[in-house]
Amino acid sequence: MSTKTLTQAVPAKAKRKHTAVGLRVGRWTPTWFVLPAVILLFLITIVPFLIELGLSLHSYELTSMKGAEFIWLKNYADVLLGDARFWNALRVTAIVIVAAVGLEMFFGVGLALLLNRLRGSRSLITSLLLIPVMIAPVVSGMMWDMIYDDKFGPLNYLIEMFSFGKFEGTAWLAQTSTALPSVIVVDIWQWTPFIILIALAGLQSIPTELYEAGEVDGAGPWQALWYITLPMLAPVMVVGFLIRFMDAFKLFDIVYLLTRGGPGSATETISFYTYVRGFKQFSLGYTAALAFLQLIVIIFVSKVFIGYLQRQRGGEA
Amino acid sequence: MKRFLYTVLALVMVVTVAMPVLAQAPVPPNEAPLDVYKWDYPESFGNVKIAVIGDAGHNLKPYEFWKEDFAKVGITIELIEVPFSEVYEKEMAEFAMGSGAFDVVTFYPAYIGDFAGNGFLEPLDEYMAKEPASVWDPKAEDVLPPFWELYCKFGGKVYALPIDGDVLLLQYRKDLFENPDEMAAFKAKYGRDLVPPETWEDYLQVAEFFTRKKGDKLGGETLDHNFYGAAFYGMRGFSVFWFLNRFASAGGMYFDENMNATINTPEAVKGLQNMIDEMKVAPPDVLAYGYEELKDAFLKGYVAMVMQWSDVPKKSNDPQLSNIVGKVGVALVPGWKHADGTVVHRAMMPVGRVLAVAKDSANKEAAYWVAKHISYDRSLDDVATMLTGLDPYRYSHFAHPEAYKMFADVKTAEIYLKGVEANMAVGFPEIFIPGSAAYTDALDLHVQKALAGEETPEQALAAAAKEWDAITDKLGREQQVKLWQQALESYKALGLVK
Repeated sequence: MSTKTLTQAVPAKAKRKHTAVGLRVGRWTPTWFVLPAVILLFLITIVPFLIELGLSLHSYELTSMKGAEFIWLKNYADVLLGDARFWNALRVTAIVIVAAVGLEMFFGVGLALLLNRLRGSRSLITSLLLIPVMIAPVVSGMMWDMIYDDKFGPLNYLIEMFSFGKFEGTAWLAQTSTALPSVIVVDIWQWTPFIILIALAGLQSIPTELYEAGEVDGAGPWQALWYITLPMLAPVMVVGFLIRFMDAFKLFDIVYLLTRGGPGSATETISFYTYVRGFKQFSLGYTAALAFLQLIVIIFVSKVFIGYLQRQRGGEA
Repeated sequence: MKRFLYTVLALVMVVTVAMPVLAQAPVPPNEAPLDVYKWDYPESFGNVKIAVIGDAGHNLKPYEFWKEDFAKVGITIELIEVPFSEVYEKEMAEFAMGSGAFDVVTFYPAYIGDFAGNGFLEPLDEYMAKEPASVWDPKAEDVLPPFWELYCKFGGKVYALPIDGDVLLLQYRKDLFENPDEMAAFKAKYGRDLVPPETWEDYLQVAEFFTRKKGDKLGGETLDHNFYGAAFYGMRGFSVFWFLNRFASAGGMYFDENMNATINTPEAVKGLQNMIDEMKVAPPDVLAYGYEELKDAFLKGYVAMVMQWSDVPKKSNDPQLSNIVGKVGVALVPGWKHADGTVVHRAMMPVGRVLAVAKDSANKEAAYWVAKHISYDRSLDDVATMLTGLDPYRYSHFAHPEAYKMFADVKTAEIYLKGVEANMAVGFPEIFIPGSAAYTDALDLHVQKALAGEETPEQALAAAAKEWDAITDKLGREQQVKLWQQALESYKALGLVK
């Protein structure tokens, strides 16, 4: 029976229904129930957003003993046209995203493919692989700080041991050439399991009939991977990439714990720079402008990928 | 079997969590407190809770040591610990929000301009003048003038009481400097005696001499690890002060009288180049060294010389922390030889700690007494122990070497205290006007970039000067000029600027 038929069958008078326990449920009842949550969300999301937007149009130095001064878009102009530190931080962040997220996708999907082939021991091995993602970023940062220690850290010790003393390891966090890769390694270690989880779920939702049909047509394992598995996995992985992109863009805790943005500005991500501006210099208007520019970047990239997903779904229909 | 394993795992976790709870609270550093100061308890404040915020770790131990003192006057202390490098932002954020989260604020005195200037702190003059003096008077005349005038006052009023008088000292392995083989080898190589370096050029030369590879001889023994001549605080945040030692001794000053940045003079460039050159004789991971790493590199026996805060020689006598007990000497921070042939030394006074009463504290009188009790009544016990990182700041702290029991004897303690006094006599202050954190951060970034090879010293200091001028403009140049001129006058009055 269609929805239209059902509607026509209901008398026009009966706009109020009764629930199973006899309560009257009007047309606006669901709205009233949802309203408190909406108001709360509005107060903690939209209102601060608007205040922050207003702040970004002001010059407001908290330490200056003078108040806020309206300066239109000058903060944005200063950031985009006169702040080399902002562009450096954006460059560092872009490197982190491309390298860290790219490798997380590669290793995550690869490991998920291997795990998908396991039978009895899959859940044990998956649980063990998930340990890094369960550790708080602060804890993992402190742990890796010890691992990377030049004198006492196990990494250099193992390098020296396995090379029979030929190599001594290096000062991973104190050189511009190795500091950023070291930060990226920590991010990969911590978040690859998240991609494994998403990919594994995606793999298990691929209908087996497709593989059977492929087998019938003479497709080998690599062809099945290239023409069936990866295309079917793509929409799921786009979601995973989007989540990791947004997280990596906001990378702060690992940088703070390992390098404080140094040496020099080699690991100063956009989040860390925003923190310095906001909490070391208390340059509130400028910091608000920095935050909004980052939001614009995230929205733009997200739209690109969401557009891809929508096209995929439209293609399937 | 599974149940047994889970039970064991649960028990291990419980014990691991419970152990810190079961650990004994710190006891006062001496069996009987040193009876040097005469003071009295006030009348009970009733049952009040005083929230104290400060950098986490050993410097908050005095509140545990003297818990019973506070209990006697009806005060319960609640400690709010923040990381060492986050003190400014944590406290500034709370002040800006008016959260009233704490009564007593521990901060680094460079921030007094930002905090007092913005009305976040309670003036203390009236509390100090209350009767009886034995209860309320913190004995300002006993505090070394640079600490009292710069750390505690703003705009002519007292806003804070000192608890930690920081100054950098040159600390060195006196066993190596006094080793006959090393002395002979140094003399043969450089044609002069091996002594603690007088100038920054000497410093690099001595550091180069002591830099050895694993397997080489040092002090008559074969090294089982690489050994380095020097090390410094290289991590972002405070590395700038190790540059400022060199800048100040070259005659540098942060700004001219009209608040134009003068941080990029040729002498400043020379100083920064010297610091870059130090990296050749420092551990390869020196740019990752914070306070703990620098202390450990020296106390564990990896480095011959460091410039460090004055609590490190005390800690060098703790066999749990140090592999070089009894082997640490202190000397003047090196200087530059000037045109008239004199060597000018300057020792930075970075960090330090003071206690202030928050303007929106609900228990100002009790909060003031807590601050005064730590700053005066029990201060000698707190600075004379290696359980804290607090350093002497009163004349009376220097007058009782017998209190510093961690040293082998009173004579050794006297030598240490004389070293501290000598460096304080050539002490050079941080920037104390509003915007201090911003100026320091901007310079620190560019010093770091020069150390990391991202900029040349000239580029780094030119960029820092440009940023400093931009910060001054943002904060209001007229106001900043006025405050800077006042600060300059007080530096001159204290003999910190010639």
